[in-house]
Amino acid sequence: MSDAARAIDGAALGATTAASVPRARVRREAATYASPYVAGVGIGLVLLLSFVLMGRGLGASGAFSSVVTAAVDAAAPSHAAGNAYYARYLGDGTVSPLRDWLVFEIIGVVIGGLASAVLAGRARWTTERGPRITNRRRLVNAFVGGAAMGLGARLARGCTSGLGLTGGATLSVGSWLFVLAAFAGAYAAAPFLRRAWR
Amino acid sequence: MAPFYEFGRFGDGTSLIVAILLGVAFGWFLERGGMGNARKLAGQFYFTDLSVLKLMFSAILTAMLGLFWLSWAGLLDLSRVYVPETFIVPQVAGGVVFGAGFAMGGLCPGTSCVAAATGRQDGLALVGGLLAGVFVYGEAFPLIQSFVDATARGAWTLPQALGLSYGTVVGMIVAAALGAFAGAEWLERRAERPAEPREAFQ
Amino acid sequence: MTPRARRSPGIERGLLIAAIVAGGLAVIAGVPVRPTRGTVDVQRLAEIVEHEEDHVTAVELAKWIRDDHAGLRLLDVRPDSEFREFHIPGAKNVALTKLARMPLDSTATYVLYSEGGTHAAQGWFLLQARGIENVYFLRGGLYEWLEQVMNPRLDPNATQAERDSLLARARWFGGKVRVGPPSTLMPSVLDSALTPPSGNATRESIRKIRRRAC
Repeated sequence: MSDAARAIDGAALGATTAASVPRARVRREAATYASPYVAGVGIGLVLLLSFVLMGRGLGASGAFSSVVTAAVDAAAPSHAAGNAYYARYLGDGTVSPLRDWLVFEIIGVVIGGLASAVLAGRARWTTERGPRITNRRRLVNAFVGGAAMGLGARLARGCTSGLGLTGGATLSVGSWLFVLAAFAGAYAAAPFLRRAWR
Repeated sequence: MAPFYEFGRFGDGTSLIVAILLGVAFGWFLERGGMGNARKLAGQFYFTDLSVLKLMFSAILTAMLGLFWLSWAGLLDLSRVYVPETFIVPQVAGGVVFGAGFAMGGLCPGTSCVAAATGRQDGLALVGGLLAGVFVYGEAFPLIQSFVDATARGAWTLPQALGLSYGTVVGMIVAAALGAFAGAEWLERRAERPAEPREAFQ
Repeated sequence: MTPRARRSPGIERGLLIAAIVAGGLAVIAGVPVRPTRGTVDVQRLAEIVEHEEDHVTAVELAKWIRDDHAGLRLLDVRPDSEFREFHIPGAKNVALTKLARMPLDSTATYVLYSEGGTHAAQGWFLLQARGIENVYFLRGGLYEWLEQVMNPRLDPNATQAERDSLLARARWFGGKVRVGPPSTLMPSVLDSALTPPSGNATRESIRKIRRRAC
């Protein structure tokens, strides 16, 4: 056994002995999260860098539109071309809708999120849910919630990243309205979803 | 002079690499702040964990102040920075629907990618839901297009709408955010307090 | 169970202070632009203009350039593309908006020029308002430069000495002298009988200059 493995072994042993749990296997303790203020400022600096380099902010939901357009175009090209919404993402048809700034940004988000989680010992194949519902229920909720957000985000032309962060920082009126409306909608729905989370 | 891309300092190909790098940093900080965990995010709506509010508004303040002072220093041309356009009714309506979905799903589009990347099955399910929702929207678009494009106001900013100077609005938002942070700290401390004695007897 | 979030009180307090300071100063600043105010003594400026001490002629400017006049800063206030097509040797391209903010040297001698002279005259006013007294503009603009220096008309009644100096000056700047009776050169000085100094590029640029205003 290497020194490093022995050290981890010892740490895990020490951590679990106090709780009197039999040591099943060596696993890194998940690190504590960073302060949300500090992480927020970090994101703010990334957002600012985006403005400085590109003259635009960050986003997310737009990438999903690109992916859906690419999929519809692959499955039914004439239907996609005839639809005014997809046509916007197809352009003149010479460039794939996936060759889009937001799509590449989201690829980066996946990489960065994974890297951070792995290094902090937080990467895990699991489902995050409240204690009173089943995994299956949680996955259904996630899907339905996601569908609602997909609709709402495209209707508003953005989400918490594109409108909330980018529009918020540039003082866009519609973005701030969106943020207020989103918080309102969430707090209105929350009491009905209490069982799912608490 | 910034924005560099707007002044032709680099081309489209490079901009895609820039996108990935910015995304990596974005995803990194989101995960660091715990935004890849739906349970933690949902705490926002039950006043137990207001990290969402703290993180979002810290980011907005940082970038907003950064834009103001870089422009003041003559290093950034604010007129070339993209301001998301305003569509009053669609954005309020979309916002409410989005918010309800957020409370149900516990993740937003950006954080769902972080969650999915870190192995969370609910993140993957939410990504699937997002794609489905966007698809439904795309298919329904021809029918609702007139609603979607209604009440357009272009790149309307708060200083224009309120008739106040840019700096005043910035100051107001800083004050409001700091007030919200203070409120958030108070709410979280309240949530951490042990249960009331009468609850123990139920 | 969800991992706890770390508190970083020191950093957070620092961020809080930074936010308050940056936000408060923003309210005071008002606009995200550094203030640029100039002061003008209108009487003094009016007198300078009346005494014709505000501008130089093309011939004077040519002499300054040839003599490597100390502290000469020749500024071209036209758009970037026009500057690249053709500019007076030694000139730097400075837009008027940049002129309003750029660091200035009070010991230098600034000479501004534009196509027709109007923008250069306005730039003169801006620099005066910023406190620079050693500033002139080329009143006839590039038109005058081309007419007087690059492609001067050779007056058949001129003395040999005058002819030689005209020729030498035109040659020095890469120009070419025109010979012809004065009458055919009215009303427009830069007409199609012009033989341009050198190369197609300069010919094109002169043609373009003629077509534009200011």
